[in-house]
Amino acid sequence: MDEFQEILQDFLIESFELIEQLDQDLVELENTPDDLDLLNRIFRVAHTVKGASSFLNFDILTHLTHHMEDVLNKARHGELLIDADVMDVVLESIDLMKALLTTIRDTSKDEGIEVDACVLRLSAITNGESPAAVEAPVVQEEVAEVEEVAEEELDYANMSDDDVEAEIQRLLEERQAADKAKREAKIQAGEAVPDMPIADEDVDAEIERLLIEKQAEDKAKRQAKIDAGEEVPQLPDVPLEEENADTPAAEAAPAPAPVVTAPAAAAPKQPAPEKKAAPAPTATTVEQTIRVDVKRLDHLMNLIGELVLGKNRLIKINDDVEERYEGEEFLEELNQVVSIVSLVTTDLQIAVMKTRMLPIGKVFNKFPRMIRDLSRELGKKIELEISGEETELDKSIVEEIGDPLVHIIRNSCDHGVESIEQRIAAGKSETGMIGLKAYNEGNHIVIEITDDGAGMDPDVLRSKSIEKGVISEKEADSMGDKEAFALIFRPGFSTAAQVTNVSGRGVGMDVVKTNIEKLNGLIDIESELGKGTVMKLKIPLTLAIIQALLVGVQEEYYAIPLASVLETVRIGKEEIYTVENRSVMRLRDEVLSLVHIADIFEVEHVFDSSEHAYVVVLGLAESKIGLIVDTLVGQEEIVIKSMGEYLHGMDGIAGATIRGDGGVTLIVDVAAMMHMAKTIKSSVTGENGAAGGGASRAKTQPSDYKVMIIDDSKTDRKIMTLALKPLGITLVEATDGVEALNILKSGEHQFDALLIDIEMPRMDGYTLATEIKKYNKYKNLPLIAVTSRTGKADRMRGVESGMVEYITKPYSADYLQNVVKRNIKFTFSEESA
Amino acid sequence: MSDKLQDIINKQQDQIAPGEENMDNIVQLVGFVVGEEEFSVPILSIQEIIKPIEWTRVPRTPGYVLGVFNLRGTVIPLIDLRLKFGLPSEKMTENSRFMVMKNDMETAGFVIDRLTEAIRLKKHEIGPAPETAMQEKTMIEGVGKQDDKILTILKVDKLLERDF
Repeated sequence: MDEFQEILQDFLIESFELIEQLDQDLVELENTPDDLDLLNRIFRVAHTVKGASSFLNFDILTHLTHHMEDVLNKARHGELLIDADVMDVVLESIDLMKALLTTIRDTSKDEGIEVDACVLRLSAITNGESPAAVEAPVVQEEVAEVEEVAEEELDYANMSDDDVEAEIQRLLEERQAADKAKREAKIQAGEAVPDMPIADEDVDAEIERLLIEKQAEDKAKRQAKIDAGEEVPQLPDVPLEEENADTPAAEAAPAPAPVVTAPAAAAPKQPAPEKKAAPAPTATTVEQTIRVDVKRLDHLMNLIGELVLGKNRLIKINDDVEERYEGEEFLEELNQVVSIVSLVTTDLQIAVMKTRMLPIGKVFNKFPRMIRDLSRELGKKIELEISGEETELDKSIVEEIGDPLVHIIRNSCDHGVESIEQRIAAGKSETGMIGLKAYNEGNHIVIEITDDGAGMDPDVLRSKSIEKGVISEKEADSMGDKEAFALIFRPGFSTAAQVTNVSGRGVGMDVVKTNIEKLNGLIDIESELGKGTVMKLKIPLTLAIIQALLVGVQEEYYAIPLASVLETVRIGKEEIYTVENRSVMRLRDEVLSLVHIADIFEVEHVFDSSEHAYVVVLGLAESKIGLIVDTLVGQEEIVIKSMGEYLHGMDGIAGATIRGDGGVTLIVDVAAMMHMAKTIKSSVTGENGAAGGGASRAKTQPSDYKVMIIDDSKTDRKIMTLALKPLGITLVEATDGVEALNILKSGEHQFDALLIDIEMPRMDGYTLATEIKKYNKYKNLPLIAVTSRTGKADRMRGVESGMVEYITKPYSADYLQNVVKRNIKFTFSEESA
Repeated sequence: MSDKLQDIINKQQDQIAPGEENMDNIVQLVGFVVGEEEFSVPILSIQEIIKPIEWTRVPRTPGYVLGVFNLRGTVIPLIDLRLKFGLPSEKMTENSRFMVMKNDMETAGFVIDRLTEAIRLKKHEIGPAPETAMQEKTMIEGVGKQDDKILTILKVDKLLERDF
C-alpha cells in the first residue's frame, strides 16, 4: 500500500507540473495551430497522464485522457484543425482532468466528477463532427467510428499494447456487425447467403492478403521516410474498405513500424527502439534540479536568520571594542574578521533566499488561458502581453500574489477593456491589450498591469461611492484623483452597471488590497479617461528577513518595515494642523493625516519640549499616513520572530526581532496600525487644558466658558447666539476681524473658542485666523469657521490659516452646539443652563 | 569497553531502583513566593529559571503582561504574577526570578518574588482546590499539606492561557 502511495505521490506531482505548462501551451496553440512542437508537447501530457492513471486504476481519468489523446493525436497528424470551438472542448477536458487530479490528491480516488458529456464532445471531434452537435444521437457515432478507423489505423504504433488489443476487439465486433448487416441485406435482396464458416474463411483469406499488402506498404513507406529524413507521418492512400478489414494487420503494426511518428518521448509503454528513433526535438532544455522539501528550506532560512542576528551583534560589539581600544593593533584583525563574517552572512542569506525563489511566470502562466476564456465569455477581443515572467520572487509570495492578480485582470477585462463596438467608436483597434509585466526595482518586485481600455473617471468613482455610502460627500470633496481611484479597493464598491459573471460582485478588489497589504506591498493606480489604466503592485522580495527603519518614542524602539516607508520628513510643530479632531500636515500638494506612535502604542507621554517632530510617511496598498516619532534611529536588517501564541495577533504588532544588543524590538504591523489610526484621537498638538491662552482656569459653571462670535451680519450673529444660548456660556460679539483682534489683544476676556465668519469687511476670517495664530498663547485656541464657502480650496485655506473646524451655512443649532461643546470641552449638562 | 558501560548502567539503575516503586505516587514541585504566599508548580512544567533580564513592553496588553524578552534567540512573553494575582506591583529585587514555564503549546516567563525549594509530595497529601474557588476559572490545581504549611499548587495550563 505504501508503495502505491509513493507512486501516487509521484504521479500527482508530475501531473500537476505538466498541467501547469499545459494551459499556456494550449492558448498558444490556438494562435499557431500548426506548431508541431507544441502539439507534441500537449499530446505528451495527455498521454503520460493516461498511461499513469490506467496503471493506477483511475478509470474515469483514463477514460477522459484517452479521448483527449485521440483528439490531440488527430491534430498532431494534421487531420484536425484546432479552432476555437475545438479548443473550448479541449480546455474543458483539461479542467476536468485538473479537477480529477485534485480529487485524487484529496481522496486518492477519482470519483464524483462527471466526464461523460465532455468525453462525448471529444469523441465527436475525433469523428470530425462539430462539438456543438454532440447532442446528436449516439447511433450516428457508430457510423462515424467506422469511417474513422482509417485515420486511427495509422496510430497503432503509438498506442500501448492494451489499447491496440481493445481497438482490435472493437473493430472485430464492428466488422462482424457489418457482415451481419450485409448478410441481412443480401437476404432481403433474395440472394443466396453463404454459410458462416465460409465467411470466416473468406475473412481469413482476405486477412492474409491484406497483411502482406500492408507489410509491403509499410516497408515502402519507411523507406520513403528514411529517404526523406523526416518524421512527419503521412496519410496513406489506402481505400477505406480495405483498411476496415485489415484489423489483424494492426496487431503486427507496433513492432514493424518504429519510425511512423516522432513518438512522444514520455510514452512509457512504447518499445525501446522507438524511443531511440525519436531524437526528441521538442524537449525543452532541462535544468539540473533536485526536489527539496520546503520545510527544509524554511529551517535553513531560520538558521540563517539566527546567523544574521549574530552578525548584527558581532558588528555592535566590534564597534564597542573599537571605541574602547582605539589604535590597538588587534583591532584591524578583528575588523577584518567581522567584515568577512558579515559579508559571507549576507551572501549566504541571499543564496538561501534564491533557493526559495520562483519565477513569477509560474503565476503568469495561468493568465493567457483566463484572458482567452474571459474574452470569449464577454464577447470582447483581448490580447495579453506578458513580459518579465522570469523575474523571481520568494515562494511564499508567489503563492499569495496569484489571487490579487486574478482579480485585477478580471477587472481589467470586464470594466477596463471596452466592447468591440465601443472600441471602434473610440477609434481604437478592435483588440484590447492587457499587459502584465514584472520587473525588479531595488528590494522590490513591481508587477504592472496595464490595459488600453476606457480608463477610470474619478468623478464617477466619487459619485458612485457617495451613492453606495462608501464615503461621505465631504470626503469626496476633499479627495484627489489618486485617492478617488483608490476607492475601487473599498469594500462594497463596484462600478459595473450590471453585475456580470466575471466581476462586479463588489468583493474582488478589496481582496486585492488585503492580500497586498499582507505582503507589505504597495498599490499605485494611474488612469487616464479613454486611454487606459496602469496598476502597479510593489512587493518586497522576501518576507522572513526584512529591512526595517528603527524609530524611537520616549524610551522605546519600534521597527517599521522599510517596504512601507515612503519617506521621512522633519517638520516644525507649527506645521501640524487639526481638522475635525485629527492632525494633518501638508506634504507638498497633499494633505497627510498624522498620528503619533505614542498614541497608538500607549506610550506614556512625558512632556516633549522639542520644537520639531519626525514624520515617517507610511504607504501601504493605496493609502498613506504620517507617523510622528520622537527619533529616527536608523536602518537595520531584521529577522521577524513570532511572539508565540500568547501574544499572537496583538493590534499593530507584526512580531518581534532581536537586536544586536540582545534586546527585543517590536515590529510594527503597518496595515493594522493604519487601521487603528483612524479611531485614535489625536493628541499631537498638545495636551488637554492648554486651550486659549490662560483659559485653562477651572470652570465651575457654564458661564465660565467664553466664546466670541465674529460675523459682519447681525442676523448671523443672532442665529449663532440663539443656538448657543441653551448652553449658558458667555458670548461676546464682534463685527469684523479687526474688532475681534482688538478685543482679543485687550486681554479683557479669556476665550475658549472663536466662531469666525470668512467673508467680512476690513479683515476676513482667514487673515484673522492667521493673525491670531501668530500669538503663541493662542496657539491652541480653537478657531471655528462658520461660512457659506464650501469649496475644497476654501477648506484647505481654512486649515492652513489655523481653523480647527469648518461649519458650513446653513447649519442646525444642535450641530453648532455640539461643535462648540466639543471644542471648548464643555462638561456641563444642558439642564444647568 | 561495553562491559564497563554495562556496569555503569547497572549501577545507575540500582541507584534509581530503590525509590522507583514510590515514584508513581510522588509529585515533585518547585515552590516559590509571590507576595506573602507560597505557591508551587510541577517541576516538569518548568523549562528553566533565570535571573531577571531586560524586557520590552508590548503595548495594548493587560498590565500583568510586562512584555517580551529574549531567551537565547527566542522571544518569550513575560508575565508578572504579582499583578496577575491582583497584588500591587513592586520593584524586582535580588531574589526575583523569571520562571520559564511551558506546556505543549506555549512558553512564557513568570516573574516571582523568590524561590523556596524543591518539594516532594505524596499524592495522598494533595487535596483538591477549595470549593470556594470557581471550578472553571480557578488557577489552583490543588492544595498540598506539608508538615505545618499549606502549599497552593498552580495549574500551569491555566497560567499559560491567554485571557484577554
